[in-house]
Amino acid sequence: MKISLNWLKQYIDLNDLTTKDIVDKLTMSGLEVEDIVDENELYKNFIVAEVKSVSKHPNADKLSVCEVFDGKETLQVICGAPNVAPGQKVVFAPIGTLIPNGNFQIKKAKIRGVESNGMICAEDELLLSEDHSGIMVLNSTLQAGKPITEALNLNDVIFEIAVTPNRPDALSHVGVARDLSAIFNRDLHLPEIVLKESKIKANEIASVEIKDQKNCPRYSAKVVLNVQIKESPEWLKNRLAKIGLRPINNVVDVTNFILHELGQPLHAFDLDLLEGKKIIVKSTEQEKEFVTLDSKVRKLPQNTLMICDAKREVAIAGIMGGENSEINPSTKNILIESAYFNPSSIRRTSKALQLSTDSSYRFERGADPSITKYAAERAAQLISELAGGEVAEGIIDVYPKIIERKEISLRYSRVTKILGYEISKEKIHQILSRLGLALKDLDDNSLLVSVPTFRPDIEREIDLIEEIARINGYDNIPVVPKINITLEKKVDQQKFEDDVRNIISSFGFYEMINNPLESEWEAGLTGNPIFLANPQSAEMSCLRTSLLGGGLNSVKRNLNYGIRNMMLFEIGNVFERKSDLLINSFDDISEKQNLILILSGKEEEKTWYSDEKYFDFYSLKGYVNSFTQKISLDNLLTDLYYSSENEIYSYYFTKNFNNQLVGVGGKVKKDVLSKFDINQDVFVFEFDLSALKKITPDVKKYIEPLKFPKIIRDFALIFDRSVQYLDVKNFILERASKLLKKVELFDIFENETLGSNKKSMAFTLEYFDESRTLTEDEVEKDFNYLISEISKKFNAKLRG
Amino acid sequence: MLDEIINQIQNEFEKDINEADSLKKLEEIRIKYLARNGSVTLLFDKLKETSKEEKPILGKKLNELRNSVTEKFNSKKEELEKSETASKEFIDLTLPGKTVKLGSKHILTQTLEEIKQIFKSMGFSVFEGPELESDYYNFEALNFPADHPARDMQDTFFINEKFLLRTHTSPVQIRVMESMQPPVRAIMPGRVYRNEAINARSYCTFQQVEGLYVDTDVTFAELKGTLVSFAKQFYGSSLKYRFRPSFFPFTEPSAEMDITCFICNGKGCRICKNSGWLEILGCGMVDPNVFKYVNYDSEKYIGYAFGMGIERITLLKYGINDIRLFFENDLRFLKQF
Repeated sequence: MKISLNWLKQYIDLNDLTTKDIVDKLTMSGLEVEDIVDENELYKNFIVAEVKSVSKHPNADKLSVCEVFDGKETLQVICGAPNVAPGQKVVFAPIGTLIPNGNFQIKKAKIRGVESNGMICAEDELLLSEDHSGIMVLNSTLQAGKPITEALNLNDVIFEIAVTPNRPDALSHVGVARDLSAIFNRDLHLPEIVLKESKIKANEIASVEIKDQKNCPRYSAKVVLNVQIKESPEWLKNRLAKIGLRPINNVVDVTNFILHELGQPLHAFDLDLLEGKKIIVKSTEQEKEFVTLDSKVRKLPQNTLMICDAKREVAIAGIMGGENSEINPSTKNILIESAYFNPSSIRRTSKALQLSTDSSYRFERGADPSITKYAAERAAQLISELAGGEVAEGIIDVYPKIIERKEISLRYSRVTKILGYEISKEKIHQILSRLGLALKDLDDNSLLVSVPTFRPDIEREIDLIEEIARINGYDNIPVVPKINITLEKKVDQQKFEDDVRNIISSFGFYEMINNPLESEWEAGLTGNPIFLANPQSAEMSCLRTSLLGGGLNSVKRNLNYGIRNMMLFEIGNVFERKSDLLINSFDDISEKQNLILILSGKEEEKTWYSDEKYFDFYSLKGYVNSFTQKISLDNLLTDLYYSSENEIYSYYFTKNFNNQLVGVGGKVKKDVLSKFDINQDVFVFEFDLSALKKITPDVKKYIEPLKFPKIIRDFALIFDRSVQYLDVKNFILERASKLLKKVELFDIFENETLGSNKKSMAFTLEYFDESRTLTEDEVEKDFNYLISEISKKFNAKLRG
Repeated sequence: MLDEIINQIQNEFEKDINEADSLKKLEEIRIKYLARNGSVTLLFDKLKETSKEEKPILGKKLNELRNSVTEKFNSKKEELEKSETASKEFIDLTLPGKTVKLGSKHILTQTLEEIKQIFKSMGFSVFEGPELESDYYNFEALNFPADHPARDMQDTFFINEKFLLRTHTSPVQIRVMESMQPPVRAIMPGRVYRNEAINARSYCTFQQVEGLYVDTDVTFAELKGTLVSFAKQFYGSSLKYRFRPSFFPFTEPSAEMDITCFICNGKGCRICKNSGWLEILGCGMVDPNVFKYVNYDSEKYIGYAFGMGIERITLLKYGINDIRLFFENDLRFLKQF
């Protein structure tokens, strides 16, 4: 919201304060000043100059060489505007001037070989409008050399204030002035109304009926007859222009002026265009179309609150007037609407129509039901002053159920209790009174506060405490140097995931964070996705069902950047709908936390000490198993292996806890990768971290280091290629004596000498006993037995 | 006679050892003098032939010879070994070391961990809540009335009329208070979503840390104390700050905390929009209406709450100019932290 400092000064004396004082205090009491345009600063070097002569530039058709008198001397200036002519008074930027539009400085220059000592300005260069058709031509009576800050009244300061949604009262110059009156403890002067009314009575000319009293609690109307629609005077145009409004005509400008003065939105109807000279406020019964005064056709939903005349709709209540009844150059008689509409009703309509106006913005936040009469009279007064005409006597004011002021009691002790420091009673009284609240002492300890209707946000004691705190300044609240800590058990629900991050990153993985919003096909790869009702785009229309899509997109991006070797991980939530039924409760959806590990490219680069090595399935399995070991779940999880493909993987394995799947991964299929434009192998494993978190790991027990020597035996057998390592290992463990404690595969290979479809697997067996030294004989016996058993079972032969 | 032989051997040995220039030659010398059939060893056989009286004298002389030869031999051996190792086993210590895989946690995770650490040291617990939330927890129970413009403060992704992606971590406040009685002192980190255009300054999802403290004697002054302590630990003890009134439906009074812009030291720059201040968090005293939703007695209990965005804080702290970098997962970016 733009606020003009000069305009503010109409209601409060601020002349002794600097702009910085005002800005800082406003910001620090809750009306944040986001931007300041100080015209005195912006236009400080510009002066009025007189064009003495104009001649053609020798080297450029569209340029002129001008002699310009700046009040002291005559300068040669090059000008490109088509309208420059001798005798004009113009805005001149001498050398050194900073031009507001584009923020560049005027320098002495040669333009196509001719010297130029400054610039004659167009409106857009001064940010006064977007007009660049020609230079600004000023009133010829202005004296050359006069600063334009004086000549053009460019001496205001404009604040851009961010008003929070709880403060509708501050959405006007008077509203801001009221806060300043509390901050600086000085008087607020509201404009007085002096109305000359004719003998014709308003309620004999027009009438108002409210059919929807819930959504329109009050409708006041003032009638002005025989006005003359014309341009507004300079002062009014200037006021509106400063806050970025385009002047239209004297009547409309007055309504806009009052909206920004008092915060009360008004609308002026051409009374002669109102059928039956009647206003009826009612909601639409069915959908219909309506043309607003910006000539746009609006589709009104059912139950839209409308202003109607005897026959038809003439305005969308509180939002925008209709084309059919707007003020036009031939308007003679007008009806000024000053109403109070239900905030939710206006907000619903504004949302439905996607139409937000200065008016709807104020009504949906809560206008002041008590101000309607005053605002209508103020408008009538200004209109009669500016447009002539006579103000009909009296006001039509339909207000069936008066909205009363709230009364709240305030305990001084509660102020201290909440804020942590004491503010004197006098100060509290002063702050609240300056804000327009009426006070009555209840007793020594409390106060009865009557809240005016322009402060719908003040409903409770705590709201009064906020007013006191903010006006007195949050800076005055002390900063306590110590706190009490209670000694109940502390919880950290994120400890597990933090531990997991530490483990995985220590393996050499880099953590990713991907966007959980995905396209339907990405989310659909791994589950039944949940759709957004209002997505930004098709690429972000679903919640991810796994971390795979985001991970593969990150792989693709890195490949695009020329990075081919990757170890990536992510921890994040994934979402699924449990059925295709409507989502109606948390039971219909699942949200859980997953962990994904991704390997792609080379595990080892070619270096001076080793050959290059690519990631493969066993790299993945190694990391996965190291992880489960680190979180002490390795003994509780079982693996299942799948050598044939599923939707995602060419081959894969799963981790399971009590037959429940807690992780899956393997080599990602080529056709999945090609959808992500990935042309190298990718190995992925995804854990359900929420499930892992729930498993209680085995309690760790100390195992004494072995005191007696181990006996190691190796063997290599030739097997059919289809024999699986794990089957052999399990068979050995099953058949061996209790003394065999460890079986390890240390070599595996295939070649022609072994025979076709054959492979050699070499194992190391470790024997020991915790309580004695083993004899070579007992080990030898078991070892030989095992070899013969394996040979029989798997049709294997000892290697050479 | 023997003395002469001793001298002769001694002289011959000296000559040989001086000429020895390799371990191979040295080995020949060992065999010639000190081995079982070496000339020095053999001299000891002569002892047997010597008279009882001369034996100790000769023995002493022979021992001296052997010691002197052995000593010189050993020192020559050591010398030659050193120089041979040096020439044969030349080691280039300047070769690059073998690569160790480093890995790292995302910079946002690191920032969050730092924040968690500070608050945990002040006695805060850590709680979580769902990202897919109900309207009730995200808005209603936080005192956002239906059809109120306050809802426009946060552009929301909806699933349907009842469910949405949480726009802030504040719903976890409600969930935590529903689950326990005061005192409650907790932070609640997590991901939130906003239906905002993706560009260098905004993204559709980011992380927040929410904080909540409810007890019988909680004051705004304590809120300030706690947050100032946090900010000084996180940004440095010389930091300047201010608390500015603001509005959140679930706190009353509400504030935003600004710190001096550390890019320009408060002089005003592009990052701080020329104000000299950077907003780092929102906070306030828990609104009594919120206590109504969780059945806390708002006369008895007072609370404060705060919330901050991790991305924003991290952007500022590391001078990162584009928020999208956090979600690209470009390894050249990830490996910097």
